[in-house]
Amino acid sequence: MLTVPTNRRAFLAAAAGGALGGILPASLLHAQPTSGKTLTIVLPSNPITIDPINQLNHDAMVLGQTVFENLVEYDVDGVLKPQLAKALPTISADKKTYTFELRDDVTFHNGKKMTAEDVKYSFDYLLDPANKAARRSLFTRITKVTVLGPLQVQFELSEPYGPWLYFLTKYMGIYPAGSRKEHGDDYFKSRPAGVGTGFGVFEEWKPNDYISFRKNPNYWRKGLPHWDRLVVKMIPEDATRVAYLLTGQVDLISAPPPREFNRLKTMPGITGASRPTLGGALLMYTNNLKAPFDDVNFRKAVSAAIDRKTIGEKVYYGLLEPSAVPAPSRGWWFNAEADKELGFDLDKAKGLLAKSKYATGAEFDLSIQAEPYLLDTKDAAIFVQAQLAKIGIKVNLKVYEFSVLIQQAIRGEHQAALQVFMSPGEPSYIMQVCLTPEQVLSKSTGYNNPEFNQTLAAAFAETEETKLKESYGKLQALAARDAPIGVLGYVHASNLWRQTLQDVKVNQGLTIAPGEIKV
Amino acid sequence: MLRLIAGRIVSSIGTLLFVGLALFALTRSGPGSPARIVLGADATAEQIAQFEQAHGLDRPFLPQYAAWLGDVMRGDFGKSFVTGRDVATDIVNALPVTLSIVLFAFAIALVCGIGIGVFAALRPGGVFDRVSRFAAVLGLSIPAFWLGIVLIRFLAVDLRLLPPGGYAPLSAGLSLHLQSIMMPSLSLAVYYIAVLARMTQASLQETLRGDYVRTARAMGLSSRQVVFYALVNALPPVINLAALSFGYMFGWALIIEQVFNIPGLSRALLNAISQRDFLLLQGIVFLFTAIFVFANLGADLINRVLDPRQRATA
Repeated sequence: MLTVPTNRRAFLAAAAGGALGGILPASLLHAQPTSGKTLTIVLPSNPITIDPINQLNHDAMVLGQTVFENLVEYDVDGVLKPQLAKALPTISADKKTYTFELRDDVTFHNGKKMTAEDVKYSFDYLLDPANKAARRSLFTRITKVTVLGPLQVQFELSEPYGPWLYFLTKYMGIYPAGSRKEHGDDYFKSRPAGVGTGFGVFEEWKPNDYISFRKNPNYWRKGLPHWDRLVVKMIPEDATRVAYLLTGQVDLISAPPPREFNRLKTMPGITGASRPTLGGALLMYTNNLKAPFDDVNFRKAVSAAIDRKTIGEKVYYGLLEPSAVPAPSRGWWFNAEADKELGFDLDKAKGLLAKSKYATGAEFDLSIQAEPYLLDTKDAAIFVQAQLAKIGIKVNLKVYEFSVLIQQAIRGEHQAALQVFMSPGEPSYIMQVCLTPEQVLSKSTGYNNPEFNQTLAAAFAETEETKLKESYGKLQALAARDAPIGVLGYVHASNLWRQTLQDVKVNQGLTIAPGEIKV
Repeated sequence: MLRLIAGRIVSSIGTLLFVGLALFALTRSGPGSPARIVLGADATAEQIAQFEQAHGLDRPFLPQYAAWLGDVMRGDFGKSFVTGRDVATDIVNALPVTLSIVLFAFAIALVCGIGIGVFAALRPGGVFDRVSRFAAVLGLSIPAFWLGIVLIRFLAVDLRLLPPGGYAPLSAGLSLHLQSIMMPSLSLAVYYIAVLARMTQASLQETLRGDYVRTARAMGLSSRQVVFYALVNALPPVINLAALSFGYMFGWALIIEQVFNIPGLSRALLNAISQRDFLLLQGIVFLFTAIFVFANLGADLINRVLDPRQRATA
């Protein structure tokens, strides 16, 4: 029989105990509302869209890639593979016509079978300037998309341009013919239910909290996904993101804090891994048109004064792979000689500075980003400031928000700016965007070298890896000669997850790949 | 009295309009366009111009402000350029989250702050008074975000008593709701417990030293009655401070919601700032300003009810 304490002290103690009992257990707070297996993953940033043709943030691409798919994809090892196409395309002798055979077992989430008409519609919509797709500029060399049969589609390009296939993996998706007109752009942005072919069907977006997807029961890759529900939470604070993982509220987090990564991945119940990305570079946009970066010897002196190995090991705890050229050291196209030419050598740096217009030293402003994206660039900036001081160069650090910093770089208003730049991992992307004219970040360096431009154009028309390696090697040699841009290294993608998960593979392309994870 | 209340309401609305204007000017004076966020780094100058034209961002400043104010007066806060969502809906969805944390923190601060202050004032120089002074210095010195991280570490990660973050609405059950707001509210309240305790203690001690209190004691009123009357007289400055604290708490919630991953107004505000989401930014700051202004108005009115001398000047 229940007895009520009559003593005041005992009553208060019982009341307090009862109140605490009512509050516990805490694990109930995050119990999932649906039955079945739920995989909960965490992003550090707040996405603004699920629509792949307008997606800007590589972390958040997990959303678009859950719902939408493409003709081809990168696998987690960075290898290009067919996805909605049966095989990689056949390419004409003049490298201007690409023909895809489509899979015949793919249906959209609305139950409609995917055909070549849908592919044509998707690309025609992307390429129409009136639709203002943020990623249109990457595909403008496509002049015509033709339906050759129900499951065969052909693309014609204005000139040979191999990289476009790689951009499909990140910045494009296939949706049903007529769906944009039927639903409107906001639908694709924030609630794209029924319009994708991917393993996850959009369920709910709770702003500033989470976005959820349910399993696509008719997914063409039979047996996938291994969960019933995917919840993508947004947690910007490092310590909170880690606490969620340690307390079992979530299963997997991206972008763990570098200084804690090695400790956390050995904690009981937790594991983790990292791998270098082929497209995420820590760049210093050096404005070649503004003093003191208007002098090649000064630019090379700055490059030689930076100890990238220490930045990689001590500042970012192994999550930055040093490289002095616009190519990752693990990439097949990496030119080690060019890297050595620009690499750390303090005596060489002093000699180069002495040969420059600024032999007695110089001063410049280095713009850095306030909010971390992949890595906190402020850490590297402070280290660079100290290193350049050793050869008599004074660096003034200026902190700006991303939207301000990127506009400075686009307009060429800066002297130098430090930023992590994410690309699809395609070898030519960074060199094209930052080092050739009439590109979005051309003014970030102001570099325009006809020899460089011609070599890159020749690489666009090439598909054979040995010849491509030669072309990319030459481009890096030119970059070593002119030092038009500062490269500090390539970032690692890193994840931490609960040991109860199986088949987690860190994606070389940074975006988490949740489809094959077993809960 | 009515005329005074009407006057205060009018001046509060004037303050709001001025803040709205200043806010509007500030959001548009900074570098960076929402177009860059929406259209991305690859967008051309032409695309940026088209976006700004389509959303009225290229119009002169005053017509933009007048149009926005007119819409706000009709309860229409517009549609976000960045997310495409209705700003008023976003605010209405996030407001209960922030309100529940701030109100709970405010209740903790009021009860604990005034309670500690009263007990400390009754025995000046006693053990409780000295301990509470020391605790107040600690409470004033500890940054709320740091306290939040410490609480997460001990109560969530080590002891597993409370969740590390997130928010459960009241509809999910009282227990779950309390779990989710306990640590954020406590982190937010500690500073204001200290502030209110110090003010209550000082004000009550000064009142208890008054001649009329000595007279009341001499006339044989019980200690409890004397303290009650003294407390009523000591409360006006505490109420003013509490009203200010209530307004400030919305500001501090900015950091607390970030630490505890709470999808409230402040999280929405931080995202609006970083994404240059002007309409959402203006809507939330306008609302915070209104809360601050009307909390002060409320404090003034309560003080006039409590203090006959203030009513006499009305």
